[in-house]
Amino acid sequence: MIDRVSPLEESLRLRAPERVMDLERLGSLHPSRLSFVRSLMRQMARQRWQISATRFDLDDAGHGTAIYRLQTPRGRYHGVIFSQPLPDEARSDRVIAEAWDVTFGVVEGDVDDALLEQMAANVPLQEAGRQHPRLLVLSRANRSLRNFAAFTEALSAGRQPDPKWITRVGYLYRTTAVYGNGKFGIADFDRLRDNPDFQRPFSAQMLAVYLLRHFSIEQIEHIARRQAPDTAVGLATPLKRYLGIGNSTGLGMAPFLINHPQLIEQWVESREQALAQVSAQQPNEEQRAALIALVSRAQRHLEQTVTEDAEQSARNAETAAALPGVRAWLEQVPLAVDLWQELIEWSHRTLSLEAQELLNTLLLEIYPDIVEPFEDRMGVDERLELTPEMPLVRLKQLIETRYDWALSYDFNDPDSRYWFWYRSIEKEEPRLGVRGREPGADRELKLAIAPRVADTHRVIGEYLDANPRATTVDFLIQHSRHKEIVRRIQTMAETPFGEIRANLWARDMKPMHLLRTKLSFFGASRFDPKSDRWVRITLFQGAPLVEELNAEPDDLRAFDDWGFPLEPSLDTSLSTSAENTLTTVTTGVTT
Amino acid sequence: MKVSYNELQGLCRKAFLGIGFEDGDASDAADMVAWMQLHELDGLEALNRGLDYLLAEQQEQERAPVQLYSDGDLAVLDGQGHSVLRSSSLALELGFAKARARGLSVIKIRRCHNRQLIMGYLARIAGRGMNVTAFWRNAQAPKGDGSGEPPLIEQVVGFRANGSVPEIRVYAVKQVPEENEPNDGITLVFANHVDLLPSMRSEFDYDLLARHEESALLASRERAMLDGISIDDAVWNRLKELATRILVESNDASRAGAGAGTVDND
Repeated sequence: MIDRVSPLEESLRLRAPERVMDLERLGSLHPSRLSFVRSLMRQMARQRWQISATRFDLDDAGHGTAIYRLQTPRGRYHGVIFSQPLPDEARSDRVIAEAWDVTFGVVEGDVDDALLEQMAANVPLQEAGRQHPRLLVLSRANRSLRNFAAFTEALSAGRQPDPKWITRVGYLYRTTAVYGNGKFGIADFDRLRDNPDFQRPFSAQMLAVYLLRHFSIEQIEHIARRQAPDTAVGLATPLKRYLGIGNSTGLGMAPFLINHPQLIEQWVESREQALAQVSAQQPNEEQRAALIALVSRAQRHLEQTVTEDAEQSARNAETAAALPGVRAWLEQVPLAVDLWQELIEWSHRTLSLEAQELLNTLLLEIYPDIVEPFEDRMGVDERLELTPEMPLVRLKQLIETRYDWALSYDFNDPDSRYWFWYRSIEKEEPRLGVRGREPGADRELKLAIAPRVADTHRVIGEYLDANPRATTVDFLIQHSRHKEIVRRIQTMAETPFGEIRANLWARDMKPMHLLRTKLSFFGASRFDPKSDRWVRITLFQGAPLVEELNAEPDDLRAFDDWGFPLEPSLDTSLSTSAENTLTTVTTGVTT
Repeated sequence: MKVSYNELQGLCRKAFLGIGFEDGDASDAADMVAWMQLHELDGLEALNRGLDYLLAEQQEQERAPVQLYSDGDLAVLDGQGHSVLRSSSLALELGFAKARARGLSVIKIRRCHNRQLIMGYLARIAGRGMNVTAFWRNAQAPKGDGSGEPPLIEQVVGFRANGSVPEIRVYAVKQVPEENEPNDGITLVFANHVDLLPSMRSEFDYDLLARHEESALLASRERAMLDGISIDDAVWNRLKELATRILVESNDASRAGAGAGTVDND
């Protein structure tokens, strides 16, 4: 049996960048073992992190302040949540909103009265406030009114809510922005560089979302209890686990993917390296059975994924419909040395992009020992740098070999230069406009890399005709406006997976694919596009609960096995069992 | 007011774009200002002093420095009177390239201002494994003899290769040379293998005005990361105002095309 492959073999097994970095394929990714919510849960369990409420001052309607303490072996943090009344007409998922049902932050260290006062005055204002430098994360969320009403009504009447409600909308709250890295005065990510608790990308943000999920469960039980102290029951554990936190994301996520190519390179390359190693393994019967079971689970999960978007519904249905065939294939073929490689190749030939990437995700699932080390390789010290001494002719060659995809478009075709990206005066929200028809093309946000590369390539060609021995810096001194793109090309040319290969000006470009790329690395499930420009998703659905974490689980593999969650079946025991007693909220002194 | 590093750099970048800088220049200039402020070297104040000048330059097309002379290890460039925020990054890249090829290089940038702000880009060059030292004279009093005219002040900033902070010396010299060439340039020395840190050793009279050591600058950065970076509200608001120039007016159509509904109850 092959345990590991050599680095050379490994690099030979990596999938080709033109395949991996195709925008539609990236927009078909699923959450995986390497997604940030999964790595955070593993880290919390492995290191025995503990979460407890130190304050839970809510009125009958659930409005007030809650504080949760997080203790890690290394330090202490607090999640501070402000819940306020919000008129229905002010409830908006857009970044341009100005008020929310809950606003919250994660603080490094303790929360004394002065800090709490400062936060109470600023956190509810979000972007309009001045936030404290000890805040690692700033966020806000809105209620799903239907789920809130339905859950409150059921629990206060002593019943469990119908699990189907959660299948339809998998959360009580959805966040509309989760800010990190210095936004509005909070701590820079650089401050976490040497902090092993949160040095992985977005791990502090994911913790904030996890704490909100816990709060949402405690809050709904609290409201039910206050409404009907005699009859109210707590939420059954399977339903608590089936509850996630929603997120509503629009075009605002797109610039990040383009502006952080080195980080995207780390994320995608880690996943591809892991996949290359996994595909080199010779499976045994146990692993084959594990994959078949996961395929079945994923199929049911997809069948239970509700979206009104016709295109996404069709993609989900197509993937789910293909999976029985995958199972049959897996059951029939002999356990060959290169079975996984064959599976990947067979799926590339016969299945949809979403189904192909689903199988890749499931393969990662059955080799935790191979895949998990990559979770520490998701971060990078980002810096695009020039190589000024590089002969210009070499730079031109680099563009032609590594950025050939960018040279393949005809930017004279109006459909290839249809959209332009810009920032609106309204809270700097990124938007798309039609060139020549809508105002703002003169202030275009330069997210489309391909036309810039093509333009630079053309100008370099002309310069080389007159100066064949020039260096890169000679050229830039004459043509300084190309400095930024040359810096990017020289830095990224040596890496396979940093550049998303698409023309972001093109009329048929789908921004949704950009959003899903990033969200899948976060660990989002239940992709529910509301147009081609914004999507609702669910995070932490199926994840272990705070009480399960606090119980210090022995079996970390079982604790980690919560991907592709399924609707729990509601039997009579749910509304009568002893585990249905209300979750006790431990309150203590605010520190 | 206190701000984060990312916030400061982000706002500066947008403000420079608003002034009319190209994307690459805007990012570099923002890094230079934010680097100074992070190390408590008053980058924003330096920017503020030169801001009107930058705004006046805005209409001019050619911003890169012009090469007056160049050979294997030496180059003289004309900064055309622009701020180093606009004119220095490629001059420094040129020095870097020459030193890589020749072991040591010297670059002279003539006619530039806002010279303090060059330090941030020197840090970047040093971060790529190059020893680099910059020298300039702030003012010149041809008869600096106590007659009330300002003294001649010299400043040396030296980074060791891969260092993130420099050693800085600022001093006034008492014996003023006879020649009266204008002191509006910077001389830069790049060395692949030897460090060129300033250490005061002179037989002539001088008054040490400022001495920033690497350790003190690292401590400043540490403090800023913990407590935020202090900035002047008026300058901040001025930058915010400039940053709005890159934003596009909104209307119902653009609002509708950007994302979720403006009211989302479900």
